Amino acid sequence: MLNQKHSFAFEVLRYGLIVLVVSFFFFPIFWMLLTSFKPETAIMVSPPQFLFTPTLENYRHALVDKNFLFYIKNTLIISIISTAIVVAIGSLAAYSFARFNVGDGHILFFLLSTKMMPAIAVILPYFLIFRDVGKTTVGATLHLGLDQHGALIVSYVMFNLPFAIWLLVSFFQDIPRELEHSARLDGLSRLQVLRKVTFPLAAPSIAVTAVFTLIFCWNEFLFAYILTRKMASTVTVGVESFFTLQGILWGPVAAAATISVAPMLLFVLAMQRYMVRGLTFGAVRG
Amino acid sequence: MKKLFLSAGLIVGMASGANAATCSNPVQITWSTIAGFYTDAMANFVKDFEVKNCAKVTVVNIDNSQLYNKQVIEMVGQTGAYDVVTLETAEKAEFAQNGFIKPMTQFFKDKQGLVNDVAPILRGMTVEYKGDIWGLPYYTYTAGMFVRQDLLDDAGEKQAFKAKYGYDLGQPQTWEQHRDIAKFFTRKTGEKLKGEPLKKDFFGVGLMAGPFPEIQDELSAPLWGMGSDWLTKNGKVPVDDVEKVLGQYVELLKYAPKAALTVTYDGVMNQMKDGQIAMTHGFFLDQWPNAVKTEEMVPGAKMSAIEAPGKRAYVGGFLLAVSSSSANPEMAMKFVAHIGGKDIQRQFAELGGASTLTSVLSDPYFSSPAMRSKTGQYATLNKVFQSMNGFSSNLFKTPFGAKIYNSMQIPLQAAAAGQISVRQAAERLAADVEKICGGPCPIAD
Amino acid sequence: MQSQSNSALMRTSSAGMSDRWFSIALIAPAMAVTLIFALLPLAYALDVSFRFADLSRGKLGDYLGLDNYRTVFADADFWSASWVTMKFTIVAVGLQMSLGVGIAFLLHGAQFAKGITRSLLILPLATSAAVTGLFWRYLYDTQFGVLNFVLGAIGLPEPNWLGDYTIALWSVALFDVWQWTPFVALIALAGLQALPKEPFEAAELDGASQWRILTKLTFPLLKPVLFLVLVLRTIDCVRLYDAVAVLTRGGPGTSTETMTFYLYRTGLKLFRMDYASTMAVFFLYVMLVAAVFALTPLLKQFTDRAKES
Repeated sequence: MLNQKHSFAFEVLRYGLIVLVVSFFFFPIFWMLLTSFKPETAIMVSPPQFLFTPTLENYRHALVDKNFLFYIKNTLIISIISTAIVVAIGSLAAYSFARFNVGDGHILFFLLSTKMMPAIAVILPYFLIFRDVGKTTVGATLHLGLDQHGALIVSYVMFNLPFAIWLLVSFFQDIPRELEHSARLDGLSRLQVLRKVTFPLAAPSIAVTAVFTLIFCWNEFLFAYILTRKMASTVTVGVESFFTLQGILWGPVAAAATISVAPMLLFVLAMQRYMVRGLTFGAVRG
Repeated sequence: MKKLFLSAGLIVGMASGANAATCSNPVQITWSTIAGFYTDAMANFVKDFEVKNCAKVTVVNIDNSQLYNKQVIEMVGQTGAYDVVTLETAEKAEFAQNGFIKPMTQFFKDKQGLVNDVAPILRGMTVEYKGDIWGLPYYTYTAGMFVRQDLLDDAGEKQAFKAKYGYDLGQPQTWEQHRDIAKFFTRKTGEKLKGEPLKKDFFGVGLMAGPFPEIQDELSAPLWGMGSDWLTKNGKVPVDDVEKVLGQYVELLKYAPKAALTVTYDGVMNQMKDGQIAMTHGFFLDQWPNAVKTEEMVPGAKMSAIEAPGKRAYVGGFLLAVSSSSANPEMAMKFVAHIGGKDIQRQFAELGGASTLTSVLSDPYFSSPAMRSKTGQYATLNKVFQSMNGFSSNLFKTPFGAKIYNSMQIPLQAAAAGQISVRQAAERLAADVEKICGGPCPIAD
Repeated sequence: MQSQSNSALMRTSSAGMSDRWFSIALIAPAMAVTLIFALLPLAYALDVSFRFADLSRGKLGDYLGLDNYRTVFADADFWSASWVTMKFTIVAVGLQMSLGVGIAFLLHGAQFAKGITRSLLILPLATSAAVTGLFWRYLYDTQFGVLNFVLGAIGLPEPNWLGDYTIALWSVALFDVWQWTPFVALIALAGLQALPKEPFEAAELDGASQWRILTKLTFPLLKPVLFLVLVLRTIDCVRLYDAVAVLTRGGPGTSTETMTFYLYRTGLKLFRMDYASTMAVFFLYVMLVAAVFALTPLLKQFTDRAKES
């Protein structure tokens, strides 16, 4: 049905529409990319300039003058560790919900409902908690204080867990139990079953969960802005140092934004082959 | 994937080289401020200070629109994270009243010369509160006005203007003249400006009516100019006066680019440099080095920095003050005196910063033609300070000033955008202010 | 029956730990994080909602009973922000869902350039609203923006996207649609591709019309995945903050002031944590009630499947 042959005119229309759709979604990024190579005098001019002498000055400003890689480094550390923790404890919990139905849906509901909390409402309590935790020895060792990586990691874990568990529960339900049973009969312990049978089978789904968690951590602003000052600031906060008293430095902002999108793009492309399989959230059942 | 992260790690590792301290056990202080050329320039001044005092100064750049709440959070949390804070004029009273910052009266006792060198109006508005001294301003964005002098001087335009309005075209002396000039120069594509056909629409005035506090900085000029203030002696908003100036302002929006409703000062500067507007409303004179670039970008343009009509305009200065939760207040105070002091202010002026010291502002060197692209506005700035000598605003004398300042743009902008009437906006402002203060606002003497 | 005997077997063969304890051990880390970092701040917010708390004037004040709730419910701005949020959510989510599903169908039938199309589509998702939103402000600029330049060139009206209070909210929505439609599209596409072939072949043999197949087969099969996406997008739109903060800051006036932005203004600009917490508690309450309705079908689906064996 959906794949049947259509008339030539129909196909022309389809590809015309696809080109239109892709240009709509790609154009703002393209314009950002273009701006990142524009000299200062070609940015705030009317009418907008399409032809100009490209320059790397904006990248130099972002990378050398503003040391933007420092923020990229922080963001990498925080996002990757948060994602790893979310995926690890999220998978365990999701597996438990999927297989054992712990709490008969009530605990799951509780976990999911924490996603409803507006971040802005809890940001000050978080600030106070991390201020005090950071002063304790444990907190200091784990870098849980304000302007330290640990504080943001914990916050991101908290705010991404519900989403991750949500996705993963249905994934795990798609894995036939019989495989686990036979592995058990072969003498593997529960944890061995998880490690050797269940998780490898769930890899595409876990990859999808990781991609989304990483994207959300990478792009988060509010927590990063309140809980860090300088040493642990992420890219979204780092961009603020381009908002100067002389106005927004559009060229360097474009360069910095391009630089900070790049790792995400590479990551998504690397995960691409898992994405298609994993993206259905297991919710379509054949 | 692993390779990717590894190589990313390598690049980062190379980029972040820590600079070693110059003395064995430096005292750490942190200064929270706004990004900008001058914070970059400060890097050198900070180095001098570090060497001389065995200190390590960390500068934290924060977006202007976030600076206030970020600093308050750290003050309320008593984290001691920021030793030296940067305060807007309207925020001084709140920080002082609530004990967020330390008085420096004692510290400045033997440095009266320096305190007295701060332009008197700035001293009153940004430094003093309830008889104490709370720091030093190190940068001023006090308002005047920028005009395209070449347009005002053009013989053809002069003739046409005189024929139409019955008086000579020149720098506006009253807000009525300002409106006439704005109206006169508003022209469509194809019409002529200075005898040349326009390639794009041209507007008489650029306004900062976007969702930013700068709209009230603009409105302060005519409001103060008519002898009124945002708050009366009894701590209430004078609704009729606000209605009057806001009404005139909304009228003026007809002669401004549509973007007026979305921009703040950087947007207006961009319009100026792109040759879209003839002049500003009350506008921050520290932007002169930016404004004067119009002369390079628009052929034939010549810029002037002048006093705003009515010789009243927003007085703005960034106060450097020492946080009460600072672990090293002595060093922090020394730093304030260093940055606000004459040596640094001079070097700062050399780079195009708007200094706060009378001795620097009135130095003929900075008003010489050679320095025009950097400090060409100094003479005007000095005049503004003199004209406004003895003036004070109740907005800066109430501990609720910062909160009022941060909320008042909402009704004002709503009226500018046409969402509510001018009268409604003035009444709403009065109601909002009363809500914030929990009644009439307390005004310190 | 068979699986029941199997799990009985598992239970006897496991060394010491029962299913029950094993399952609890698995959720323990996630529960620990959530209990501490969700309930603690919530308890704080709840406590503050009953007290006087102007944080800029120092510590928390006296308990006032329900005063804060009375003040908030009498606050016109609060209700106007709720209304703005509702309008925004309905329009933005509606557009994202319909466009997303439409795009998924468009791509599903396409033969060429699928990989590149998908990669380009995922780009808006991979960017941060805090940064890309800034670029949309530049695109929307009436003087320097490329959007109005193009519209002007082809003779269309040039709206004041973010400055006209009648359309500013929709301009913010358009940005959100730009960023999140690909999310819906990619998931719907994956759903389409995962559909089982047999029922469709059977339907075609029966000579069912395209329309009938779409409404009786495709959508019912896609419903669970679309519903999940719908819930996710709704939650995010209701909590919208970044896009407003960077595009309009709630303006012009209060025309784009959403619930969370009003919360931000009350809590982090005026530092009235009492009002902000009260609103947050109320907000959470409303969301939870809505969630009971929205999540119950999803949860039922989960638990049914968990019980299946």
